[in-house]
Amino acid sequence: MTSAGTPPTIPARMTQRLAPQAGELIDRGRQLTFSWDGDRYPAYQGDTIISALAACGQRVFSRSFKYHRPRGLLTANFSDPGCLVQVDGEPNVRAAHRRVEPGMQVRSQNAWPSLRHDLGAVNQAISRLLPAGFYYKTFMAPRVLWPVYQRVFRRFAPGGKVPRSAAGGYYDKRYAHPDVLVAGGGPAGMAAAAAAAAAGARVLLVEEEYELGGHLRWGDAAQLARLAELRAAVAGAPSIEVLTNSAVIGRYDDNWVAVAQRDLPHARERLIKARADVLVVAPGLIERPYVFAGNDKPGVMLSTAVRRLINLYAVRPGERVVVLTANAEGDRAIADLERADVQLAAVVDARRGEDVVAARGGGGLREVELAGGRVVEADLLVTAVGWTAPTALLNMAGVRPAYDPRAGRFFPRDLPDDLLAAGGIAGDGTLDQIIDHARAVGGEAARRARARDDRTTPPDPLPALPIDTAPSLFRSSTHGIVDYSEDVSSKDVVGAVREGFDSIELAKRFTTATMGPAQGKLELVNTVAVHAEATGRDIAGTGTTTWRPPYAPVSLGALAGRSFQPVAYSSLQPWHARQGAKPLVAGQWIRPDHYGDPAAEVRNVRENVGIIDVTPLGKFELRGPDVARLLNYLYVNKWMKLAVGSVRYGVMCGQDGVILDDGVTGRLADDCYIMTTTSSGPETVWRWIENILQTEHPQWRIHVTPRTSALASINVAGPKARTLMQRLVDGIDLDPAAFPYMRVRSGAVAGIPGCFMWRIGFTGELSYEIHAPAAYGLQLWETLLATGADLGVAPFGIEAQRIMRLEKGHFIVGQDTDGLTQAYAAGVGALVKLDKEDFIGKPELVWAAQRDDQQVLVGLQPADESIVPDEGCQIVEGERAIVGRITSSRLSPTLGRSICLGFVEPRLAAAGTMVDVRLVDGRRLPVRVMEHHAHYDPEGLRLRV
Amino acid sequence: MLLIPCVHCGPRNASEFAYADAVLRTPDPNAAPPAVWRRYLYMRTNPAGLASEWWYHQSGCRRYFMVERDTRTNEIRAAALPPRPADRGAP
Amino acid sequence: MARLLARSPITPLPPVVVAQGWEMSGRRSGAVLRLTDCTPLAKLLARGDGEGRFHARFGVGFGAARLLSPDLLVIGWGPGEWTLLGPPGAEERLASVAALDRDDGGDEFLSAVEVTHGHALMRLAGAAAAALLAKICAIDFSDGVTPDGAAFRSSVAKLVAEIVRHDRDGEPAYLLQCDRAFGQYLFDAVLDAGTEFGIEVDGFRPPWI
Repeated sequence: MTSAGTPPTIPARMTQRLAPQAGELIDRGRQLTFSWDGDRYPAYQGDTIISALAACGQRVFSRSFKYHRPRGLLTANFSDPGCLVQVDGEPNVRAAHRRVEPGMQVRSQNAWPSLRHDLGAVNQAISRLLPAGFYYKTFMAPRVLWPVYQRVFRRFAPGGKVPRSAAGGYYDKRYAHPDVLVAGGGPAGMAAAAAAAAAGARVLLVEEEYELGGHLRWGDAAQLARLAELRAAVAGAPSIEVLTNSAVIGRYDDNWVAVAQRDLPHARERLIKARADVLVVAPGLIERPYVFAGNDKPGVMLSTAVRRLINLYAVRPGERVVVLTANAEGDRAIADLERADVQLAAVVDARRGEDVVAARGGGGLREVELAGGRVVEADLLVTAVGWTAPTALLNMAGVRPAYDPRAGRFFPRDLPDDLLAAGGIAGDGTLDQIIDHARAVGGEAARRARARDDRTTPPDPLPALPIDTAPSLFRSSTHGIVDYSEDVSSKDVVGAVREGFDSIELAKRFTTATMGPAQGKLELVNTVAVHAEATGRDIAGTGTTTWRPPYAPVSLGALAGRSFQPVAYSSLQPWHARQGAKPLVAGQWIRPDHYGDPAAEVRNVRENVGIIDVTPLGKFELRGPDVARLLNYLYVNKWMKLAVGSVRYGVMCGQDGVILDDGVTGRLADDCYIMTTTSSGPETVWRWIENILQTEHPQWRIHVTPRTSALASINVAGPKARTLMQRLVDGIDLDPAAFPYMRVRSGAVAGIPGCFMWRIGFTGELSYEIHAPAAYGLQLWETLLATGADLGVAPFGIEAQRIMRLEKGHFIVGQDTDGLTQAYAAGVGALVKLDKEDFIGKPELVWAAQRDDQQVLVGLQPADESIVPDEGCQIVEGERAIVGRITSSRLSPTLGRSICLGFVEPRLAAAGTMVDVRLVDGRRLPVRVMEHHAHYDPEGLRLRV
Repeated sequence: MLLIPCVHCGPRNASEFAYADAVLRTPDPNAAPPAVWRRYLYMRTNPAGLASEWWYHQSGCRRYFMVERDTRTNEIRAAALPPRPADRGAP
Repeated sequence: MARLLARSPITPLPPVVVAQGWEMSGRRSGAVLRLTDCTPLAKLLARGDGEGRFHARFGVGFGAARLLSPDLLVIGWGPGEWTLLGPPGAEERLASVAALDRDDGGDEFLSAVEVTHGHALMRLAGAAAAALLAKICAIDFSDGVTPDGAAFRSSVAKLVAEIVRHDRDGEPAYLLQCDRAFGQYLFDAVLDAGTEFGIEVDGFRPPWI
């Protein structure tokens, strides 16, 4: 398939490729092909997508965000705003950074139907009508039209197409603990890292590009020699870990530094969470674009961009060039351009007061207008007007860099002890001066990392770098693009000030300048300069917008990393899985909801015997002489006289008297109790108990051991439970007189030693809850099923248990109670012993006992036996008054009718009162308030047999 | 992410800990009038500056300890064990 | 009654064998990085004062581990908290090692609880073990910070877990312990993190510790 443009009749050729360059990154021995908008292109191994296309004479790589203007190369690195493409379905790939690979399918973005014939470019013609704030103002009203606007916008929305299927790749995460983390692998970063390593530090050196070296890579022979030296020093230090093609994306509290590492063999991207003792910020400087009419025409480039193209990729950037230079880098670019046989049409030296006022051309640059009116024909305009200091990491650490008008950029000041700066961000000077300074910084960083815990050692003063004077060049006499990513012009910024946005933070939000993919790196200082000019303030007085993480783009996949979602299984899980139990996610536990037919499971428990896996029930072993005191303090009821072999139900409240948890606790021996909590409660209860034992009553001698998953817990319930158990126990007398309701006995069950079981009854039937050492749980379960086959034993799940407990009127903490339900309201007031000296929640419960205005929990039965109101339905009176709610409801297989638990106002709580439930569909359902919570066997005769 | 200096384990990531309330004096539960008790239960000073806090090292030693934290800078000035029974009078 | 068969929460990879009353994987691996389910090890939790009588008997405190005999490891995984590990079935031996006359020490409150069934335990061995752990735990696993014998509890793959470094024959190795119910989850999380290092499952066999 080819694009809608005319396909090349002959295959593309590398017409702009230069003879071999000293520092080139391409491997001329390995040629490959890839596709660009459907056409085949050649490239060398080591080319970026853009350098390969530029070598074939391509100059337009995307259309701009708002006006769909053609865009080409500007910076020739990761930040290049005009070089975002779609690669094999991956959107927004930085094509001036990403290396080309054989067979890559590359497509342009933001152009429809094609790069060459883009319909959105009409916006260009009406750009006068699309000023900043246009969308905000125009499409605010009427709201009903918003879906229509949205559909239209989506077609013209910038950026690539996100693939519909998100199958995409493996993302990784890891931690790192460097003594010193160096952000930036240019000459200063390398020198600092090597010096820190020599001083004994473990160093993580992070470089955004594919190789270390920074600007030395496109330098002369002497600089290339220094590069080789520095690289050797880094490679020779085993305590330096080098991460290339990786970006420091943020610095957080206590030097928690996030690094995105890209394109690993096993993962698309990896997030590294590094805890650095000392962070050295050495990102170098970013060359600043110049604002003038037509400054975004394809063919207008920065001096560093042409130096990269020529020296790293051996690409001739144009035929005929105008160079605007204000510094040495611009002068070196001139030398490079001449060597690359580009015709020098004009040199405009800003240091002599010369200036460029406009660039013109259709698809690309054709002519340049200089100050004074001279017009020069050229297809390339190179600007070298100055530098921006990427201070983001410093700002994220709370530093406020200061603007130095002589140098025309921001400098760090008042750095905290665990933060240092090296290289161009710290100052100017010769290469030797910069390297010496960086070495001192690296050594000092290592020293501070060692002395981190010793705050008495004052930090050493560091040598200062000189600061060069540079002309303040931000905007020419014409208006041009300030933010290339967002298509914001200097005129928009001036207009924003005119509309009253005289704060830079507000002007940013109104114009969206600095809010696009470049995130301020290229456009921030120009935006500030234009804003300052319009308000009549200076740059220092205007300030900057806030640098926030991420400093470089990071994929959501990398932020998510490998998925960590702990899941808990009981020892019986293999059996549940084999039987096809329907899984129920209950917190971190996966439990069997049912095994096919919950109603049949209920009937089997009521008529024969059933077994349920209740392992997730929270369990603690409490040991020590003071356990009774703890229980007495923790629960609302009394515990000082619980005998060995007995079990008691308890309700636990918070200090506000609200029910926190409930469960039974049994005394196995003099100084050994087993406490159970709800399945969702053990973590909270444990924390609560430890709080009491460690902070309130440290004199109590108690050790708490969690037992939840150490014990496989199986409840054997039903009229035939005793018959089944008699076949499996040896030495435990099951006679009801010897082992009655609410007692616990220890011994072997099914030959498994170390078990204990207690007679309790959530289901309302005769039941034995067996707790066995977990490794034998599966064997116990299978033995129960095999031994009781003739009794009709069958497993039952959570749903059957929930039905049966509702038939019995037992509430579930968190379902039938909420964060406001105090003990009295839940109907367990009889348990609360206000005559105890102290227990948690006592003051509030004392006061609650004197109130009669709280809704109370009651049993409810609908008049229409077949209607089960949804849980959460309101109980209403008249048209508007809510007087209660349904908390639990089921169809009872035992009673053949709908049953509920719910809250009603106290005046409606008398047995026999009729109230109305408002159903989801609006109908009213009359329900009767019952005498008991229990709908079935309210006297509890069945479980006491 | 903040580092919290655990008294037992040394500095660890804040995600290993649970904040467990301000360090408070508990009124006498049998004597405090409702207004005093509820001020203790619900009202916190939320200072801009030094705050005394209980933290629980949930994913580590499972011990409670007190820290002095500057809420403006997150600087943690001191960490201490709960007072021992001897320090707080008779049980 | 049938013979007792104990099972780990971690499904054993075939071939499955039975040894010491436990179902185990009989798989053998010579990979550079290996993960072994050691759940059958006998485990005992002893608690007392940090500097008290258990400390005197075991000779280590919180943060350190030590072999009491060639097959018996004591680990200080918490302040005043020691875990003893021994060969499968050695619960009684562990109890006798931790048996102290309760009336002898005055005020100190001591306890020893068998916890064999409460935890899943696994051993990660190989030169890349520390690099793997750096993918699931925020602790610094470098030799300087976490030398042989270092013991601590932390968050591992979003789970509370105990780790002790227990090298064998000069090869770095770590024991990881978590709540039994999460054993399979942690085992799978370690295997996933180890893919890039070529991790393989190795069956459990003597020497147990």
